[in-house]
Amino acid sequence: MVLKIFFPQCCNRADSGLLVGRWIAGHDSAVVLAVIHYPFIPGQVKQYIQQMQAQSGVELSVLGSWSLPKEGQEGMESFLRDLSTIFPQERWLQISRQMGKMGFTCEILNRGQNGKAAQRRVKKEKKEEEVDSGEAEKDEEEEDEEKVIFVHYEQRKVMLSQLHPIESGDPDLKTDPPSELRQVFQTVALSQPLFFLDKYDDGPLKSTHWQSEGREASIIVELLKQASVPLCLLLSWMLSMWTWLCSIRIFSLYPLRFLSTKLSTCVQLSYRTEHMRTLSSPKAAAGHTQFMRKANMLVSVLVDVALGVLLMWWLYRDEHIAMLANTLVPAADHVAKELEQLLQWLMGAPAGLKMNRALDQVLGRFFLYHIHLWISYIHLMSPFIEGILWYGGLSACLGLTFALSLLSDMVALFTFHIYCFYVYGARLYCLKIYGLSSLWRLFRGKKWNVLRQRVDSCSYDLDQLFIGTLLFTVLLFLLPTTALYYLVFTLLRLVVVLFQGVLHLSVDFINSFPLFAIGLRVFRPYRLAEGVKFRVLCDEPGVALHLLMERAFDGRVVQPMEEAA
Amino acid sequence: MGPDGAPGPAVPWRKVLWERQPFPDNYVDQRFLEELRRNEGIRQYRYWAVVKEAGFVGQQLSCVAIFITLWLYMEQGLLSPATLLCTSLVCALLGYGLHQVLSSQVESCSEPRTHLADLQSAAIFLSFTFGFSPVLKTLTESVSTDTVYAMSAVMLLAHLLSFPYAEPSPPGSLSLNAALFASVCLASRLPGALHTFAMLSCALLVFALWPCLLQRLRENAPGQFAGVCVGVCVGGVGGLGSQSPGGAVLLALALGSVTLLCPLLLVRLQRHKDNIHGPWDEAEIHEDLSRFLN
Repeated sequence: MVLKIFFPQCCNRADSGLLVGRWIAGHDSAVVLAVIHYPFIPGQVKQYIQQMQAQSGVELSVLGSWSLPKEGQEGMESFLRDLSTIFPQERWLQISRQMGKMGFTCEILNRGQNGKAAQRRVKKEKKEEEVDSGEAEKDEEEEDEEKVIFVHYEQRKVMLSQLHPIESGDPDLKTDPPSELRQVFQTVALSQPLFFLDKYDDGPLKSTHWQSEGREASIIVELLKQASVPLCLLLSWMLSMWTWLCSIRIFSLYPLRFLSTKLSTCVQLSYRTEHMRTLSSPKAAAGHTQFMRKANMLVSVLVDVALGVLLMWWLYRDEHIAMLANTLVPAADHVAKELEQLLQWLMGAPAGLKMNRALDQVLGRFFLYHIHLWISYIHLMSPFIEGILWYGGLSACLGLTFALSLLSDMVALFTFHIYCFYVYGARLYCLKIYGLSSLWRLFRGKKWNVLRQRVDSCSYDLDQLFIGTLLFTVLLFLLPTTALYYLVFTLLRLVVVLFQGVLHLSVDFINSFPLFAIGLRVFRPYRLAEGVKFRVLCDEPGVALHLLMERAFDGRVVQPMEEAA
Repeated sequence: MGPDGAPGPAVPWRKVLWERQPFPDNYVDQRFLEELRRNEGIRQYRYWAVVKEAGFVGQQLSCVAIFITLWLYMEQGLLSPATLLCTSLVCALLGYGLHQVLSSQVESCSEPRTHLADLQSAAIFLSFTFGFSPVLKTLTESVSTDTVYAMSAVMLLAHLLSFPYAEPSPPGSLSLNAALFASVCLASRLPGALHTFAMLSCALLVFALWPCLLQRLRENAPGQFAGVCVGVCVGGVGGLGSQSPGGAVLLALALGSVTLLCPLLLVRLQRHKDNIHGPWDEAEIHEDLSRFLN
């Protein structure tokens, strides 16, 4: 049998006292949670432990005694042994440590056999053990095989790492008893009330645990916690106003609704509304996943707004807006000029291709006229562009994503002519391909049977054949011209779509990048641990095994205790 | 003798599989080859009959040659489109009259087309061709001439290959379409829109209507049919000869081989035909199944 004692690292140098913790049923292991120091009144200790038990729901008990003798505190051994009669337990641990030695000594008093306290000494000094007592202890060890393994753990990390998902509603897990380590983690995480007692408290008891040097807290965090409730209420009220505004009937009319699904600003607005609704809900996050999602959302919103404010600061400083507006119109002009040159090139003999001259001229003039229309539209708009930019820039205070979405929409509006070209070209090309495919069937004397979904042979009339062949010839010889126009305008459209895609990608990146999780991973990696691993602190013959429990990220929970046993 | 040479037991062998018999499954007896039949239902071709049938192929070849000749004349400006149009019109009217006469001789045709339908078709042809001729004129402007020639040659060849020589009266889709495609390609090389129109009308006459008339002629007046074929062939060779003597020689050789040499070969080789039938053939259903189908 191997007795495993999970010992908090913060109690390594604690003053002598009582060990408070929990025996884990069925696993022959104990978790030490805190040390209560002398002097104490046993009745008060019992009362305190009962109180804590009621608060945390963990079966706390006094495990034994801890002694770290200092000068002037000799001769305590007998006193500590007597304590076991005051706190009746199945097993009584007596852990002691000599100053200047690394190892602990542990004695286990078993009161199982007819009240006669069978005493077993287990050896665990690391160095400098006295020869004679060592031999004596060896003999005793041979008598009963009970060994002790100390597993040192860092109480704070174990408490905060979410390695005990017992509350997950999986019914299969409930039938299996949780594993030993899981119980350890759960015990530590649940016994938070035990850690509220610190050394500045003026109570009758003094104890040592990870917070006993003073409770860890931040004024900012506490203030934020206090402020978050009215903030959430305000937010949810504003959200309800906003949703009420959005649900006005006029917005659900067809053109507006269609427009709102196409404008990325509107899409982003609804997305953020959903985020804010989740964030401002008064219910606390249920479960670790939910909490992480909420925290990620909050951080992304905050980062977004910060970046947006930065952008605003840049935009409204030094008349950057006017500068932008003044460069925008020449840029549009430039694009239009380039397009005109492209069309002129297409109307010639582009790349030596055999185009149909007449159709080429018709298409080219059509598109040139379109560009002309577009240019006049831009020039009509030019006095208002600065105003539009100024007011549009204000949206950056809602976040960088809004500014980017607005930019994407503006790009879409400013390149509307390219979109139109693309649609015309694509429609023409589609019609042509469709006509050619069906006329090719006619050419071969076949037809598409709609009922059977296949190509059947068919005998056509003479005039049908004649007209069909005539059209087929015409379409076939005009195909390269249309295909070239289609290709060029598709490429142009692709450039615009690519730019918009980059914008949308960055918006999505800001929206959904798990910044909080990454921050946790960098600054508090134990919060996201996937398991634990053990490192041997001291493993020498005749000395108890000391292990250090550390977090692991690869999801493997190593359990070397069986090996050690 | 069966393949296993089984000794003849008392039970006679029957050619059935549903009974258990003391013979292997692949056993046959001596009567096996008695049912062998050779060259069943063979038709003994006579040389001049075959030549007459092959005349259709020859005249189709000549038709293509005539069309090409006309196009050559048009391209060189030797033939004005008005002349061609007038000639085509006269030919079409004559042919239509002849067609009516031949049709009225035999009233076996189910649902003869009315004159109104014919007029409608003619109107459609003319209006579409006339409307499209400016478009067709500029269609292949940028395509190089060699490409157009190659395309036309391939298409005319496809026309000749896929022509339904046995039953040309409803024109085969692929053959007619290929011929029309080729004529559109060629017509677009001509100098003017009216030229294109005239050429297409001519193509319609030659490739679509002429085979119909000839089919009627073959059915109703076999004596004149041979004469017409010879006339067309001579016309084709002569016409091509006025433009390119080499082409005319080639055409004449081709016509000779198609109409005279190939039938001779066919008749000669028919002696070697050895087609065997017997009980090993797939089953044929001779019963009239039409009552089950309805």
